[in-house]
Amino acid sequence: MMSDVVLEFRDVLKRFGGTIIVDHVSFTVNRGEFFTLLGPSGCGKTTTLRLIAGLEVPDGGEIVLDGQTLAAPAAGICLPPDKRNLGMMFQSYAIWPHLSVFENVAFPLRVRRVPEPDIARKVTEALELVGLTGMEGRGATQLSGGQQQRVALARAVVYTPSLLLLDEPLSNLDVKLREQMRMELRALQRRLDLTVIYVTHDQSEAMSLSDRVAVVNKGRFEQVGTPQEVYERPRKRFVGDFLGRTIIVRGIVRGAASERWVELPGAERIAVPPETGAGVTDGTRVRVLCRPEEVTLLPGGESGPNQVTGRIETVTYMGDHLEYTIRAAELELLMTASKKTPHAVGAEVRLQFDPQAVTILP
Amino acid sequence: MSDAPIFRPGFRLLGFSAAEIVVLALFAFLMVLPVVSLFVGSFNIASPTQPAAYGFRNWITAFSDPKTLDALGLSFLFSIVRLGPSLLLAVLVAWLIARTDMPGGHVVEVACWFAFFVPDFPLTLAWILLLDPTYGFLNTALKSLPFIEEAPFDPYTFWGIVWVHMGTGGIWFKVMLLTPLFRRMGATLEEAARVAGANTFTTLRRVTIPVLSPMIFAVGVLGFIRGLESFNTELLLGLPAGIYVYGTRIYDYLQEEPAQYGAATALGSVFLVVLAVLAFLYRRYFQADRKFAVVTGQGYSTMRVRLGRWRYVALSGVILYFAVMMVLPLVFLVIGSFMRRYGFFNLDDPFTFSHWQNLFRDPVFLGSLTNSLMIAGMTAVMGVIAYSSVGYMLASPRPMRSRGILEFLCWLPWVIPGILLGLGLLWIFLATPLSVFLYGTIFGIALALTIQDSPVSTQAFKSGFLQLGRDLEEAARVSGASWRYTYFRILLPLVAPVALTIGMLNFGSAMTTISIPVLLYSAQSRPLSILLLEYSFSGELERGAALGLLITVIICAMIVVGRRFGLLDLSRSGGGRNQTRGDAG
Repeated sequence: MMSDVVLEFRDVLKRFGGTIIVDHVSFTVNRGEFFTLLGPSGCGKTTTLRLIAGLEVPDGGEIVLDGQTLAAPAAGICLPPDKRNLGMMFQSYAIWPHLSVFENVAFPLRVRRVPEPDIARKVTEALELVGLTGMEGRGATQLSGGQQQRVALARAVVYTPSLLLLDEPLSNLDVKLREQMRMELRALQRRLDLTVIYVTHDQSEAMSLSDRVAVVNKGRFEQVGTPQEVYERPRKRFVGDFLGRTIIVRGIVRGAASERWVELPGAERIAVPPETGAGVTDGTRVRVLCRPEEVTLLPGGESGPNQVTGRIETVTYMGDHLEYTIRAAELELLMTASKKTPHAVGAEVRLQFDPQAVTILP
Repeated sequence: MSDAPIFRPGFRLLGFSAAEIVVLALFAFLMVLPVVSLFVGSFNIASPTQPAAYGFRNWITAFSDPKTLDALGLSFLFSIVRLGPSLLLAVLVAWLIARTDMPGGHVVEVACWFAFFVPDFPLTLAWILLLDPTYGFLNTALKSLPFIEEAPFDPYTFWGIVWVHMGTGGIWFKVMLLTPLFRRMGATLEEAARVAGANTFTTLRRVTIPVLSPMIFAVGVLGFIRGLESFNTELLLGLPAGIYVYGTRIYDYLQEEPAQYGAATALGSVFLVVLAVLAFLYRRYFQADRKFAVVTGQGYSTMRVRLGRWRYVALSGVILYFAVMMVLPLVFLVIGSFMRRYGFFNLDDPFTFSHWQNLFRDPVFLGSLTNSLMIAGMTAVMGVIAYSSVGYMLASPRPMRSRGILEFLCWLPWVIPGILLGLGLLWIFLATPLSVFLYGTIFGIALALTIQDSPVSTQAFKSGFLQLGRDLEEAARVSGASWRYTYFRILLPLVAPVALTIGMLNFGSAMTTISIPVLLYSAQSRPLSILLLEYSFSGELERGAALGLLITVIICAMIVVGRRFGLLDLSRSGGGRNQTRGDAG
């Protein structure tokens, strides 16, 4: 799967007025990959997608698709969107209201002057693929949100584009439909072996769908990696925070190479796995990041290895679990825990860290 | 793919792209040049065909003549006097339609909408048939009563003109503007007042009216500015009695032998400055600090004021007003067109078809009909093509430096009354080497009418494109469609309702406007509206009635068809201008 590069961004820059929206971004996407741009709204992920589609003109850098330069402002090149052979699904679906379902899906084939019998066959196939067989004659305005979404998908894949761009396609659907579409989308991508670039602000979507995720913030790609990598080994504070709740404690790195630990204010220690914190030397002040689900909450007692003692400050009943704020290591930590072994306010507790699951950042 | 066309960020001058410069130059030429030529012309003391010579003589002549100042003063007086009752009435009717349980509110609304389109020139003619001191039906009827000797009514007076204006476009237009405002006012604002302990009347007095007052005021100022531009009624009723507003005074200057171009342009320039200042203040006051924001709160109010027994009184009042101001004159227009000699009801055989027959046999009429249809058709087509492109540019989300300038240029004709636009263009048409194509031709008239249509058309297309959103267009581009294919297959069909609405509005206004063609037409390009003017000045009332009725029928047929297809919904095309006429009293 590696090495067969479909899309390449080289130092791409995009400004709107004086604001930098895409800040010297470089990355590659491989054939058959499901690549997700994840970030908060306004981070530049949609602009990145629109740069690929040719709906925006970059101010610097180079965008290459299948060896062909799509845009390179320095060379005065910017291919218009209709010459890029892409498929794209818009957040609003952009179903043309004056055309039937059939004509909406047939549109990309008609502009490519595909012979009529082939159009009929391919549209039927595409509609079958998204589960809309029999809806050909419907007007676009007679469709539900979920159906419109399927039409948009069928339209985007009907001519087997070299790259499928999806701009928050699930964000307008209700929760149940969203889960279902997510699974269908993933299945479809595997079946057609499509290369997909997917834009979302929903981390669970990104986690469950992607081969690789790029976490985008303020126009920069903060981290690119498999969902597991970015979730479990965030290389920046923002990545850790954005991908869900993180427990962070501060301390000083002691030891070297294979035998290292972080010394916390109460003289307690957390062992550090060798693969994290490269370049951090003995005596550096660091933050220790860990996902709440990797931390076990134990009743008060003698502090053992990789344990931090603390005191419960508040308890909040959240329905299926409890949420605690805990005073520990001179910090206030937010922890979720099971309802099975509740702790009262003021109780002493121990936080058991899993050394394999912690990340340290300077 | 390798030979695919490549887009290069092209030539730019002062940050404008080549396409922007072309568009800006074209619109600056069309919108600004008439104004400039009016000003320059006012200092040109030579006649238009002779080499220019500059001086202040025109201004001195114009303003040492008391008639000029009288005309200016009277314009303001007319507009102010008309404003009070018409605004009050419009607020009342809009409130009754939108906020009370008066029965038949929807029918009243449709009736007002319909009345708005009825051209005012035939209506004025009808009021002459009713009120003329010698043959007016109401006068002769009242004089036949034993104790009335003198004719009680005279339309050729200040109050006569005010009266006729109470039934023409302006008042119906105000109702159309105000009704949606009353309807849209956030329900929660009133509900909060009710919950806080205010009764229906207190809520109306302390919440509804104060909240809406900036907008009522805005509609009033709008009506005042439009009222200053009023021309048709003043021409038909004022001229015989020597009552001049500035527009008819300009017309009069040009009818003199030799035509007083200098004085006309000097007067026009002054008035343009006045209008520009008013319009500038209006825009600044109402568009700068979003006084409208509070009113578009969520939730439509379902709470309606219960009028009890009064609701039938209210409905009767509205029906009566409509019957007197709209139905009565139209009925007499019909009667007039079928009378052998209007006013002589006691002839043996008073009714005849001969006026209609003569009308359709008259080559002058047939020529004018052809001219009018061609002018209106050209105006509609040119307007749709030009303003759909401009509206598309203005709706573009891309930062574009020219947008502000372009928006201003397209708005500019809003402050130029038809007679002044005609006057400004007259100078250009005469001066250019293209005068053969422009002066006195149907193309010249259509061009002038198209320019005047700019503000509303541009806004309508802009909001139309904004409503579409860019996604539909972009989806087509990414799907592989070229810009042209996208325009014809996606954009044009989707914006077609707006295009048809604007086309019909501009067609209708081209058919009925007098103030623009009156200075630009020639015997070869005479439109129906000018022919109607000639009939009424030469006293051919019966034939005039027939022609006025015919124009009204053409317009009504058009709007019925338009309504049938769901078009012509003015509240959605953002109309700020009284489109079918230049006035709103």
